[in-house]
Amino acid sequence: MKNRVFLLPSTVAALTMFAFAVSPAARGDEPKQHIDVSKLPQQATLVDDVIVPVPSEVFGVLDKLGSPNWHDVLRTDVPSVPSERPETALLLGNVIAEGFIAVEAQDSEQVKKIGRTVLQLSDAMGVRKAVLARSNAIIEFADKKDWPRVRQELDGALTDVKEAMVVLHDEELAQLVSLGGWLRGTEALAQVVNRNYTKDSAGLLHQPALLEYFDHRLAHMSARLRGDEVVAKIQKRLPEIRPLIGEADSDISQQSVDQIRDIVHDLVSAIAPTPS
Amino acid sequence: MKAFPKFALALFCVTLFLPTHGWATIDDALSFALEAADPYVKQGFTVREDYWGGDLPVKQQKAIVHQLFKGNEYWFWMGTDVENARISVHIYDSDGNLAEVEHWQKPHMAAARVVPKTTGSYYLIVEIEKSDRERTHWSLAYGFR
Repeated sequence: MKNRVFLLPSTVAALTMFAFAVSPAARGDEPKQHIDVSKLPQQATLVDDVIVPVPSEVFGVLDKLGSPNWHDVLRTDVPSVPSERPETALLLGNVIAEGFIAVEAQDSEQVKKIGRTVLQLSDAMGVRKAVLARSNAIIEFADKKDWPRVRQELDGALTDVKEAMVVLHDEELAQLVSLGGWLRGTEALAQVVNRNYTKDSAGLLHQPALLEYFDHRLAHMSARLRGDEVVAKIQKRLPEIRPLIGEADSDISQQSVDQIRDIVHDLVSAIAPTPS
Repeated sequence: MKAFPKFALALFCVTLFLPTHGWATIDDALSFALEAADPYVKQGFTVREDYWGGDLPVKQQKAIVHQLFKGNEYWFWMGTDVENARISVHIYDSDGNLAEVEHWQKPHMAAARVVPKTTGSYYLIVEIEKSDRERTHWSLAYGFR
């Protein structure tokens, strides 16, 4: 009940103009079969009203596509807490995404380790209290190997952390948490797709609205955050992915999947360097 | 979802002590959206713990972009607290084609179901079709399986 995302007033005026482009057919029951999306105001195709899916939505589809060897994808090293807050925020999202991979691998020890790391990183971000119950629940349900509940708690942890940051007026850091999670999720997805390529599974990488969303968010972040070395690297490399994810009706080739994987791997490695 | 019964109880208590006008909020609208979701939770849909909402005048619509994944099935539930309002939610693909496979409208609620044919961006169009209020609170939740 607690997590509501209200649509920004700045976009409301433009979006309501959309009424003229999309009026319901014949007033009442049946909606129009087609709308002219080119008449959407620019804001509607951009950021403020984009719903970023929770990781469960992606991993749920991957479940249906088969049983990849998730242990091959799972990272088991425990990252240290970065000294810079933007990098901590990115890493927090990254680690939560790692939790989903550990759930897929059904590795309860790793899930519990991740639950504790989430708490440690949240503490560094000043939002420990908001995520404590979730962290405990992750550990409890991992012990019971109740994987659907672990997933639910990981989704909830992501939401709670971001909401707590918004309360602390750290909206931009909350966006970095989302971005960190999305990057790790995309890396894992690209790895899995690459190992058993099908057009359907590669299609899961077609996420233009999210790319646009993150690109736009980064571009409008404060100079202080954009000045962070890792954030700057992500901002520079993210646009390289856009041409690789294709258009709505086109397939994403295996070569493109490879390239996407390499780009996001580079970015995830910058967020969570492998201990030497 | 677990917090809903407590919320509903709290809402009931609050309504006992407040005048009938002026207390309506997006939370009230949300309670109807979640009530609409309830039967689908029993069918295995996971309801996301994020909600979207605002207020709109009659006959104005709002578009929200959502990344949907082929292989999932989604229900979007919209609620309003306004007694005689008629609201709607519909789903279009990135080419502007109606993408939902089913929809319904009831007092206080509307819903639409989509089984995406492709992974990509979709437009959720919400509207207050009828209401006696100048602006009507609405809230949107969704679930997937």
